[in-house]
Amino acid sequence: MSDKHDKHEHAPMVDEVSFFEILEVSVRELAIEKGLFSAEDHRRFTEFAETISPAPAARLVARSWLDPEFKKRALADGFKASREVGVDWLKPTGFGTPSDFCDLRVLEDTPKIKHVVVCTLCSCYPRPILGQSPEWYRTPNYRRRLVRWPRQVLAEFGLQLPPDVEVRVEDSNQKCRFMVMPMRPAGTEGWTEDQLAAIVTRDCMIGVALPHPDRKANAKRPLHLAKNPVHH
Amino acid sequence: MIKRNHHVEKATGKGDPWCFKGEAGPAKFKVGDRVRIKDLPDIFYTRTQTYVRGAEGVVAVVTHESPAPEDESWDNTDKSEWFYIVRFRQKDLWPDYPDLYANDSLQTELSERWLEKA
Repeated sequence: MSDKHDKHEHAPMVDEVSFFEILEVSVRELAIEKGLFSAEDHRRFTEFAETISPAPAARLVARSWLDPEFKKRALADGFKASREVGVDWLKPTGFGTPSDFCDLRVLEDTPKIKHVVVCTLCSCYPRPILGQSPEWYRTPNYRRRLVRWPRQVLAEFGLQLPPDVEVRVEDSNQKCRFMVMPMRPAGTEGWTEDQLAAIVTRDCMIGVALPHPDRKANAKRPLHLAKNPVHH
Repeated sequence: MIKRNHHVEKATGKGDPWCFKGEAGPAKFKVGDRVRIKDLPDIFYTRTQTYVRGAEGVVAVVTHESPAPEDESWDNTDKSEWFYIVRFRQKDLWPDYPDLYANDSLQTELSERWLEKA
């Protein structure tokens, strides 16, 4: 026992770098060397791509709640309707980056149907209008379990739905990109588009949560103090 | 012209998959058609999940034209086909899915080569 103890079989401290990360760095460095773009260009684009917010998608939902004509356009062609909330999927690269594909489908929830989106094959996500996907959306756990046990996974997110509501999982496995248009909650009568947009959070548009008049995207988070705080 | 840039040049200003519009001819299936998913070989690349192989569903949306991923992953973009969002009953995918939730469904997208009339 002491032998084993003395050897200190700790895992070595290394940064795990995946094959794809190495590939990305190599291609990027070659492109910079070749002069296709500069390191500064790359940083600026990464900054842009990583700071896209879900605000335009929230605006699209809020406007659809208020304007039936706009709602028709959003459901018919999400790619075109995105322009009306300030997102052109072709900009800035001209052909659909930072998401490569430009077919946005808006899934309308009804009293009897609740949509929820997953990409079982990787992590396809409507990034131009929803921003970067949350970490859990990309995990194998969410991806493999949502298609198989959707109600259990939704319950883990705090969303329990009665049996007469059809849970409809949308597996985003090809070039279509999906966002959910949840139902307008009670208690929001007479609200403006700005007020409504504030309660349509990212998770509501992935489909794992429902909008609530008291839960705004920019709300103050509750502070939970530790029960047994550590004293130094 | 740089050959490897053909995709960028084709898609710029239109977006992918819209840049393949009009290349696939008439669609074989329409919304409401009952279809079965074929179990084709996929030793190189596919985006057709194991869980839909052999299952029956209904065409929910005829989406767009594009080369199938099995071809496009090898830069073979000569032939486009129609894509379909197919709706399945969860119960048809997972036999032990609870009867209480018999209404639950799942939708996923497949290219035409994977579908046959059910």
